[in-house]
Amino acid sequence: MAKKYGMIHDNNLCIGCQACSVACRSENKIPESVYRLQVWVNGPTEYPNGTLGYEYHRQSCVQCENTPCVSVCPTKASHVNEEGIVLVDVDLCVGCLYCIAACPYQARYVHPVTKAPDKCTFCHESRLSRGEEPACVTVCPTDALVFGDLNDPKSKINQVRSERVTYRQKEKLGTSPKMFIVPNHKGGINS
Amino acid sequence: MTQMLSRRSFLKLSSAAAAVASLSSIPGTLGALEESQKQLKGNAKYTPSICEMCTSACTIEAKVEEGKGVFIKGNPADKSRGGKICARGSSGFNQLYDPQRLVKPIMRVGERGEGKWKVVSWDEAYTFIANKLEEIKQKHGAHTVAFTARSGWNKTWFHNLAQAYGSHNLFGHEATCPLAYDMAMDDIFENGISRDFGKAKYIINMGHNVFEGIVISYARQYMDMLAHGGKVVTLEPRFSAMAAKSTEWHAIKPGHDIAFVLAFINVLINENLYNKKFVEKYCEGFEELKASVAEYTPEKMATECDIPADTIKRLAREFAKAAPKAIFDFGHRCGFTPQELELRRAMMMCNVLVGAVEQEGGYYLNKGAGFYNKFLGEGDAKAPGLKKPKIPAYPKIAVPRIDRIGEKDNEFFLAGKGAGIVTLIPKATLEDLPGVPYRLHGWFIARNNPVMTQSNMETVIKAIKAMDLVVVFDIQVSDTAWYADIVLPDTTYLERDEEFTASGSKNPGYGVGRQKVVEPVGESRPGWRVAKELGEKMGLGDYFPYKDIEDYRLQQVGDNVELLAKLKATGSASFGVPLLLQDKKSVAEFVKKYPSAASKVNEEGTINFPEKIRLFSHKLEEVSKKGALSYEPYKYKEADELYFVNGKSAVRTNGHNGNNLWLNNLCDDAGVWIHPKTAERLGIKQGDKVEVYNKYSTQKGKANVTKGVREDTIFAYFGFGHVSKELKRAYGKGVNSNALYASFVSPNSGMNLHVVGVKVRKA
Repeated sequence: MAKKYGMIHDNNLCIGCQACSVACRSENKIPESVYRLQVWVNGPTEYPNGTLGYEYHRQSCVQCENTPCVSVCPTKASHVNEEGIVLVDVDLCVGCLYCIAACPYQARYVHPVTKAPDKCTFCHESRLSRGEEPACVTVCPTDALVFGDLNDPKSKINQVRSERVTYRQKEKLGTSPKMFIVPNHKGGINS
Repeated sequence: MTQMLSRRSFLKLSSAAAAVASLSSIPGTLGALEESQKQLKGNAKYTPSICEMCTSACTIEAKVEEGKGVFIKGNPADKSRGGKICARGSSGFNQLYDPQRLVKPIMRVGERGEGKWKVVSWDEAYTFIANKLEEIKQKHGAHTVAFTARSGWNKTWFHNLAQAYGSHNLFGHEATCPLAYDMAMDDIFENGISRDFGKAKYIINMGHNVFEGIVISYARQYMDMLAHGGKVVTLEPRFSAMAAKSTEWHAIKPGHDIAFVLAFINVLINENLYNKKFVEKYCEGFEELKASVAEYTPEKMATECDIPADTIKRLAREFAKAAPKAIFDFGHRCGFTPQELELRRAMMMCNVLVGAVEQEGGYYLNKGAGFYNKFLGEGDAKAPGLKKPKIPAYPKIAVPRIDRIGEKDNEFFLAGKGAGIVTLIPKATLEDLPGVPYRLHGWFIARNNPVMTQSNMETVIKAIKAMDLVVVFDIQVSDTAWYADIVLPDTTYLERDEEFTASGSKNPGYGVGRQKVVEPVGESRPGWRVAKELGEKMGLGDYFPYKDIEDYRLQQVGDNVELLAKLKATGSASFGVPLLLQDKKSVAEFVKKYPSAASKVNEEGTINFPEKIRLFSHKLEEVSKKGALSYEPYKYKEADELYFVNGKSAVRTNGHNGNNLWLNNLCDDAGVWIHPKTAERLGIKQGDKVEVYNKYSTQKGKANVTKGVREDTIFAYFGFGHVSKELKRAYGKGVNSNALYASFVSPNSGMNLHVVGVKVRKA
């Protein structure tokens, strides 16, 4: 069976250190004015029970299975490859930017050099082809990111998913992201 | 917290930063060089080395990609760090290419701090410095020049130069960072100690924010411990990332940590929660400790530290129950107080009392070659020691050092001479210190930024301005370099080889130091070369008996070619097996490997501590009547003021990486944390521009109104509000915490205070 790559971002293990976003910038030579990946640190926020906590929001492509960005692309520049990764073929892109408008996760930007939309590709070009994990996963100091093949029952990502409660961003849209989030289970601390 | 930028402001900021960067062309910077001189030549294969974006010195691997970029990752061979790297580490090559980076020597042509420079050749620079040093030597004596070098990489070279020249006023950065706990370890254990966080079940953490002031191995261990159900209790005036991940957070009153710890010890002893057998067998001074903490009941101390007595009692009980897998973290940089040495000693004694030393999940003694070899019999191979080249005797100096270390019965006698009390330099320049028959007239500063990192910036700058000569060796025109006479361009850590290092954790370890990944950019030169060349210019060539760093390293390993090869190939090497003296399993493994060690094993199957652990310090009693622990209330602020404290951000930790392009883009203006009730009282709203001020300084910042800080406390991240205009990205942005602090120097440990009174108003 073909591979289907997915990722888990564990909010309990994430410390918002930005190692992932900087490694992504370094690995993918991302120009200064844009980013493929950031972790937005929200907080300290107050939970309904009056306790405090931080939330860590990974802002990047969530690799939908039902892809609004691909559906609207008139030239098939935006496509999903056989491993389930959403990609942009720069040569086919006519720069209409429909895909940027269609993405509910604001995960795409216009690359200042190619002028085509660009986004997280799970380091498909630079690392997966060499058998390496995405740059963000490689560097994460606290192992808050787990990457792997969702079609492989023995993969670590499936193991973690079977042990932990996960959710996905904007699930009600039916886009079926392959980015899973382990929520903060502690629910804050008395202030 | 790290304030992440919205997409819109991120775009705005980045284009502004790029515009500023492209304008940078002060003489001597990389930006001012011809394009053809900016090419990188270097190793296309991964070279093991050590990061230098902060002082944690994590192991890395780096390579040059197609002559353009450099990719840096964690060294996968290093198990304690798991091949991981933080944002600062990944940003390392931004230093290399930074157009604002200094790549030629520059000399001041205007007033100090005016920012007028001219480029000079290295030879002109050496001649200028050598002449000036000679002049000071003739006029005031060589000892009136202080030499400061950052630990680890430049101390060897510049402290050698200093002593050859005739100055014993040697300093590191320690008194602005780890000195008090280093001294406490030596006093209690006669040895350095580490914490086995990963295996602990219970940790008390007083403001040691390992998730923001990241040390990769600590962050991993803490997280591992939490993930396996361990409990962490954090006591800190603000809600840090550490507090957020902890099981409990208690917002302790700033500067009053010691009150809590003394009450904690009081409970351990009075409720018989301590390990009597361990204390009787291995410790001395228990009765004195018992007497000294008798009056510090939880009830009495609760009002001081603002933690309820019941909580103190509960935590002490839980801690004792978890022992020996318990750690009272002795911390790092948490709210420095006037009683730093007492505080760190008290924290360490908590672990001693419950016997959580030399066992899994507790403290362990650092086992360098010397220590480890003590337990090996005649028949076994010994852990190798690193050698030093033989150099002539240094000139004798008749007068004392400014901190009088080395003199009998002096206040700072526990401090190492290589660390020194760097915080005294401004005082020793501006006023007569007791027992010191001279003032300082020169300061040679290698990769240290006292203007930014010492408390009370105004006094530091005043002292620098009063000096006859200030030399700075750095990779950029730092805040200190901004006021220097001459600035010499150092290599970044990716451009230099360094000496081999020896260390010890559970068994002896060796490191390759740093290894060159690319050839030095521009005319930057490494410390070993600058010290040697300057020494030769001054006629002190005999003190530098090595051709280059390669020759120095060869002399270090002697005939141990095997060690040399291993270090260069993998970056590190270790000797023997881990040893925990009080862990039967570990001792059995050790004896299996080294049969002759059997004679050291006691009837319980463990190994006795080589020294008694001291719960009372006769040495401190002799010099300062502070052998016992004590609590001395200190007035940090006036009644109408708020406490001001600082802490580290994960993306900009040290005084030197704030101007890094990527890191600055992630966080360029850290907010001022203020509690909603306080903000309301002062008419301040989220995002308002505010001024934080006291008699020392007025600092501008943006209000971050949050319940994550005590009502009586203001918090800001450290490392903002740079004053060097050549640090164009970071200049003037955010609150410079050290500008607000008093120039107080703690007795015995020489640390500055990190708590002060401030007021806040809308700007």
